[in-house]
Amino acid sequence: MPGAALDILRLEVGYGSVKVLRGIDLAVEPGAFVALLGASGCGKTTLLRAISGFVSISAGEVLVNGKDISAAPPDKRGMAMVFQSYALWPHMTTAQNIGYGLKLRRMPREAIQRRVEEMLAMLKLDGLGDRMVTQLSGGQRQRVALGRALAINPDILLLDEPLSNLDARIREEVRHEIKALQQRLGITAIHVTHDREEAMVMADRIVVMDAGRIAQQGAPEDVYNRPVSAFVAGFMGAGNVIRLHARPSGEGLAIAAGPYNSGAQVAAAALGPGIDPAYTGPVLAHFRSEAAELGAAIQGLDDTLMLQGQVAQASYPGGHYRYAVAVGDLKVIVDAPDRLAVGEAVGVHLPVKDLHLFPDDGRGNAPPPPQPEQRRFS
Amino acid sequence: MKESRILPLVLVAPALVTVLALFVYPLGFSLVTAFVDKAGAVTLTNFARAFEFYANDILFTLVIIALSTALVGLLAVAIGGYLTLGENPAAVAALRWLYRWPLFIPFVVAAQCMRTFLAKNGLMNNSLVAMGLLDPQQTAGLLDWRGIVITFVWKQLPFVALLVAGAMASLDRTTIEAARNLGAGRPRILVEIVLPQVRQTLLVGLVLSFVTMMSVLSVPIMISGESPTMITVDMAFRINNYGDYGTANALGFISYALTGVAAWFYLKRGISGGGKP
Repeated sequence: MPGAALDILRLEVGYGSVKVLRGIDLAVEPGAFVALLGASGCGKTTLLRAISGFVSISAGEVLVNGKDISAAPPDKRGMAMVFQSYALWPHMTTAQNIGYGLKLRRMPREAIQRRVEEMLAMLKLDGLGDRMVTQLSGGQRQRVALGRALAINPDILLLDEPLSNLDARIREEVRHEIKALQQRLGITAIHVTHDREEAMVMADRIVVMDAGRIAQQGAPEDVYNRPVSAFVAGFMGAGNVIRLHARPSGEGLAIAAGPYNSGAQVAAAALGPGIDPAYTGPVLAHFRSEAAELGAAIQGLDDTLMLQGQVAQASYPGGHYRYAVAVGDLKVIVDAPDRLAVGEAVGVHLPVKDLHLFPDDGRGNAPPPPQPEQRRFS
Repeated sequence: MKESRILPLVLVAPALVTVLALFVYPLGFSLVTAFVDKAGAVTLTNFARAFEFYANDILFTLVIIALSTALVGLLAVAIGGYLTLGENPAAVAALRWLYRWPLFIPFVVAAQCMRTFLAKNGLMNNSLVAMGLLDPQQTAGLLDWRGIVITFVWKQLPFVALLVAGAMASLDRTTIEAARNLGAGRPRILVEIVLPQVRQTLLVGLVLSFVTMMSVLSVPIMISGESPTMITVDMAFRINNYGDYGTANALGFISYALTGVAAWFYLKRGISGGGKP
């Protein structure tokens, strides 16, 4: 059964006088897997709860297959949610948990039993049907929660950080399993997460949220490679920020040489959506630690920006070295394959195509780096 | 070394002496007295007399307390359920504020209030007549077994509701939301999701309530002193009118036995719950 289309129009939600969602517009086509990505407090969980009906909305509409369900109570929306804490019922067995939604739909006992067996087999929980859920491991509980949601054949599956309580190894495994299941069943899925990689791996479309608004949405590659704002660039991993000066030149922007950086030419094709090719003034250049190369502090090619710096700190996270390089008052993080001594003078070579440029509005140097969310309060 | 062994005993002594003198001794004494006659010989005549005169009252007591306990349980779950699942914030706040009041009113005052409220020309009937819901000719007092049950339920309900509502409030809310999300209505969530998770707390509240009601004298005396009545009234009667401690203590023994069954449930739960009260 294909999933349902979900449309959110000008959605607003507030707790008292505090506005949590400020005019969200989002269209999700049937069978799509959409990840709502953002830092703690950005409103992504509130958006999910507004879709499921647990939070009342102050303005806007939620449409499923074109039908307005904004006023329907949570139990009448036909959606299934997987909670961060799994929310399994401790007084029931695994089979009773999975079959509860079917019991509510007055399905005959034998049919429930068949469906539960099917879910247990699909989620590799064979033989655990009679076990109390309190006796299961974290990964098993996560599967039961997923099975309980999928058992009712929902049109829309809502996932509220369902992997955040799993350890790293199991999390990677379950990511792929959920994605494969969603594709096989053709369900529309909305997945809330603060984990960029998780969103990239699982979703067809990523919606980055910031302060109750959608900062950018698009395919994972698009959002990753063409961030529209400094916030999105920072959140998508381009956490290094330097301040430069740009002016129009030819068909692109020319970056002026500064006390610690060389000049460079950025072609119009290499400019992201965040800046106009006719812009003149200070810019913030974001780049990823793996985009830069360390080498001699000499001017390179025209399409490479060179920063003069000094190794301030070195570490080995595995596979490569990671250096904090002091460039003037700033520090940038750069990954490199070779070992360098702390204090060594280096050139940070940045291909201009890997720079994400944004006009510097003077509000600050860099967006706050994304923090892993430990616990969500709502 | 010697000091450190004596000190704990000194510290525990006041509590121990209090318990021994004011609880263990009178209890033991009354138990023993139930089995001896006035001459001091061991006998079962006290029990024979208790059953001969008061078998009906023993049964009446048991029925009243059992009915009251059941009603208290039912209403406590309803109150706790509304406080947990209610969606009208004003109604939830009003109920939360109101339901605890009877906790602070002693049994004797509660009984006195109920006398004026439930009598044939009491406040309840007068109000119903004034509202035109009842004809003055039709009014009937509820000052019999019904009055006792109403008073017990009114007085004990807040205590059990407090325990149950507290247990419900500490449940993981997402277990409730998960059921709603799958399509369960609120009454169903109360019965199938919330209640099973607070069952132990409810049981403890009911056991303690049962034991409390067994020991109340003022309510049956003030609401309905006529036969059949509760055995606390019979005990007071044997002592005050005949100085018959033997029969009174035999009735007391029967009352211990009844509460003992309730206490057994409580202790059994305590053991399975890892010794928690």
